[in-house]
Amino acid sequence: MIWWQKLQSVCETIAPDCRAASRLQSEMLDHSLTASERFGLRLHLLMCQWCRRYGKQIRLLHEAAHGHQEELAGTVSQRLSGEARERMKRRLLDNQASTDQP
Amino acid sequence: MISLMSGETPSIPAAKAGRSGLSDPERWLEEYGDFLFKFALTRLRDPSQAEDVVQETLLAALKSGQGYAGRASEKTWLAGILKNKICDYYRKCSREISFTDLEFYASEEEDRFERGVLGREAWNHELAPQQWAKAGESLDNELFWKTYGDCAGKLPKKVAAAFHLREVDGVESKEVCALLNISDRNLWVMLHRARMALRRCLEINWFTK
Repeated sequence: MIWWQKLQSVCETIAPDCRAASRLQSEMLDHSLTASERFGLRLHLLMCQWCRRYGKQIRLLHEAAHGHQEELAGTVSQRLSGEARERMKRRLLDNQASTDQP
Repeated sequence: MISLMSGETPSIPAAKAGRSGLSDPERWLEEYGDFLFKFALTRLRDPSQAEDVVQETLLAALKSGQGYAGRASEKTWLAGILKNKICDYYRKCSREISFTDLEFYASEEEDRFERGVLGREAWNHELAPQQWAKAGESLDNELFWKTYGDCAGKLPKKVAAAFHLREVDGVESKEVCALLNISDRNLWVMLHRARMALRRCLEINWFTK
């Protein structure tokens, strides 16, 4: 075996495959990885354009979702029904009357 | 910053509103009823449960005995109370429902990768992540968020609860685990699958459309 094939086989042993790398990149957003996980992932990403792209995209979505809560809620077309609204209003007014009393 | 872990009403500086002639609760219902309902519905999926938490939110707001000066912050204040009520609901339900819906999208994840040399799984070339055009600009587009909402709406209910808490509301992982009564590992698996599904859904329906 020539030297670079040996190196390649070592890399494959210590580096995760794409499936594991995609999982690790997601987990990075939730907790810190161990030193060896970080090392393996970094190596994998050096070699794999798809996983680099995957990581970039899930990080974009992760960062974007936070801070767009209102836009997301605004996309729901269903509204509070008139009936529910009336029911709540009655309940609230009753409650307000009882709390207003000394 | 409002703590999502406490079920209590966030305290706010006192200021009576009442400028429109309506009482506070009526005005809240009028102005923010739909917003609060939609906010709750994206997280709970069930209209009657969403109505319940909105009602509890308004009752709690009323009970705190204070209105709020400044319209934008009043909305934020009510949304803060609503988030706590939704968390209370999750907390209550996590004892009744098991959050172990981990079979979700397993088959889809299988398809995504191909077993190669030495059993190593690499991306299936046709399903691998594509280049996204104008990714940054999409975030300002209302239609993008509609698509995002539709995609998130396809997640199984329990996974969606974890996803919304963590990704949208930015709650820390530890807190999400405590709320949903699941282990760290379960949460990470759920979120990984949810992100993978959402990424793919947006790629198909938005970024490469």
